[in-house]
Amino acid sequence: MKKLLFLLRKEFRQIRRNRFMIRAIIAVPILQMLIFVPAITFEIKRIDLAVIDNDRSQASRELVSKLTGSSFFVVTATPATVTEAESMLLSGDADIALVIPPDFSRGLAGVTTPRLQVLADAVNASTAQLSWSYITSVIRDFNREVIISTGMIPANMAAIRTGSLPGISVSPRYWYNPKLNYKYYMLPGMLVILITVIGLMMIGFNLVREKESGTIEQINVTPIMKWQLIVSRIILFFIIGLFDLALGLGIGWLAFNIPFEGSLLLFFACAAIFLVAVLGLALFFSTMASTQQQFLFIAFFFVMVFILMSGIFTPTESMPLWAQQFNLVNPVAYLMRINRMVMLKGSGFSEIMRDMAMLTILALSYLSLAIRAYRKRA
Amino acid sequence: MERDKVIEVKDLVKRFGTFTANDHLTFDVWRGEIFGFLGANGAGKTTAIRILCGLSRPTSGRVMVAGIDASQKPEEIKKRIGYMSQRFSLYEDLTVSENIELYGGIYGMSMKEIVPRREALLEKLSFTSYGDMLIRALPLGLKQKLAFSVAIFHDPEIVFLDEPTSGVDPITRRQFWEMIYETASRGITVFVTTHYMDEASYCDRISIMSEGRIVALDSPSALLRQYGTASVEELFVKIARPQKIRE
Repeated sequence: MKKLLFLLRKEFRQIRRNRFMIRAIIAVPILQMLIFVPAITFEIKRIDLAVIDNDRSQASRELVSKLTGSSFFVVTATPATVTEAESMLLSGDADIALVIPPDFSRGLAGVTTPRLQVLADAVNASTAQLSWSYITSVIRDFNREVIISTGMIPANMAAIRTGSLPGISVSPRYWYNPKLNYKYYMLPGMLVILITVIGLMMIGFNLVREKESGTIEQINVTPIMKWQLIVSRIILFFIIGLFDLALGLGIGWLAFNIPFEGSLLLFFACAAIFLVAVLGLALFFSTMASTQQQFLFIAFFFVMVFILMSGIFTPTESMPLWAQQFNLVNPVAYLMRINRMVMLKGSGFSEIMRDMAMLTILALSYLSLAIRAYRKRA
Repeated sequence: MERDKVIEVKDLVKRFGTFTANDHLTFDVWRGEIFGFLGANGAGKTTAIRILCGLSRPTSGRVMVAGIDASQKPEEIKKRIGYMSQRFSLYEDLTVSENIELYGGIYGMSMKEIVPRREALLEKLSFTSYGDMLIRALPLGLKQKLAFSVAIFHDPEIVFLDEPTSGVDPITRRQFWEMIYETASRGITVFVTTHYMDEASYCDRISIMSEGRIVALDSPSALLRQYGTASVEELFVKIARPQKIRE
């Protein structure tokens, strides 16, 4: 125990003198929170629309102005031909093209069946689907107005005046994030990524640097025990990880007014278990690497896999079964879920108990894996 | 006279795959002596030292260091030895005092024991003004002297010095050897490797390794007589040269 204190003192002295580390500990959370939280969003705010108006009637102009009147669409071009519109989709100048045929107004008057064509750039399927649903809802609205103005349905029907055709009225209530604010969704996840990257990279570099400089060889000929070496390191980066988590959370609160519904204590307890898992894993990786570059390569690969699979961008429930099974050993996936539940839903211990238990098992397994793999020899 | 053996090696073999780094080494080191462990680069010295220090396990053979079997309880050996490698290995980003404290603490000393010994050591090395300096800022010669002092700070039975003076100027080398003599006179066995043949002649006994075997072992003067050479350097060139040149 006393030996552990000597080792801890050494670690703290070294980190205090390492300007680069100190700067990274302070700057990484600030930058990551301020840049990624507002930048990463799946909301679609500005869809570039190309309109090929072959009708040039009052009705077609009304339709277009209804589209631009919504906040989603910006008419960026009015090409004369469909071919031209296609090349704009190809070059990315337009996200979606609306083709209004020459007989559009005649169709509305009842002479023919009115038709419209919508071409969408579907490279990103979800953007295409969203744009499609926005544009069809505007067109449906327009359609209803036409129906009313042409008197196909009596104008005095109250339901129609208030904007809906008779039928089932569905009114959504968005629970836990009533304003559908994407930042609220991203921030808990960003906090997980923050401590994953900080914890994993820093502890790894710390260990492998000692291999590179040869100081570890000197330590290895001393009677210090493996667990003492490992624990002294974990404690330091454990503290740094929790510090950065608090810093990131503070920034989220100051800059984005992020709500925090649940228990702070529970939140930090889960993060603490998570950090043990991540630090254990980093220690394990460091036993496989003899240079910092090698470590970076291994760690980068796993961090990327863990983050992309964790459900930060796409729900894990929609992933193929094998991916969901992989997530059983992915600590990032557990904390991602826990953080969102605790921060946004205010979930308590009983709701996250299962995830917490699994995370604890992972933490213990990774730590013992690291201790087993660590060799006090060359 | 039956001398007290602090290291006993019998038929030590260490293989890496098909390569035999140590081929049936047999030798003893006596308590309190300065034992020179010589050999050309690649002769297998470092491999043997690593086994003696508990950093590596022998493939076969019996290795006893300070009364402990190296293949059974290497961690026990580590409590009783000091080690200083050719690669400088104090922490560059800690001060002189902090390095001494750290290693003292690792060997189980308390701050109460460490502080007075540290002050005495700094005094003796005329290092008092360097106590709060980072190792990084010290010249190489001082670093090596300090590393040696740290290696014997916990009073080990044996200290292993792996090319301790490589790259050091002649004056510092001389001072370094004075430290070695003083250490041996305190009863600490010094096991040293070197490529400087003048240093080899300062040893009580030397062994010369070639291609994984020990080809000569005796006091420098006895070996000079036996091989009829005028200097250890001449002797080394005569017997340490591999039979077939590798590469």
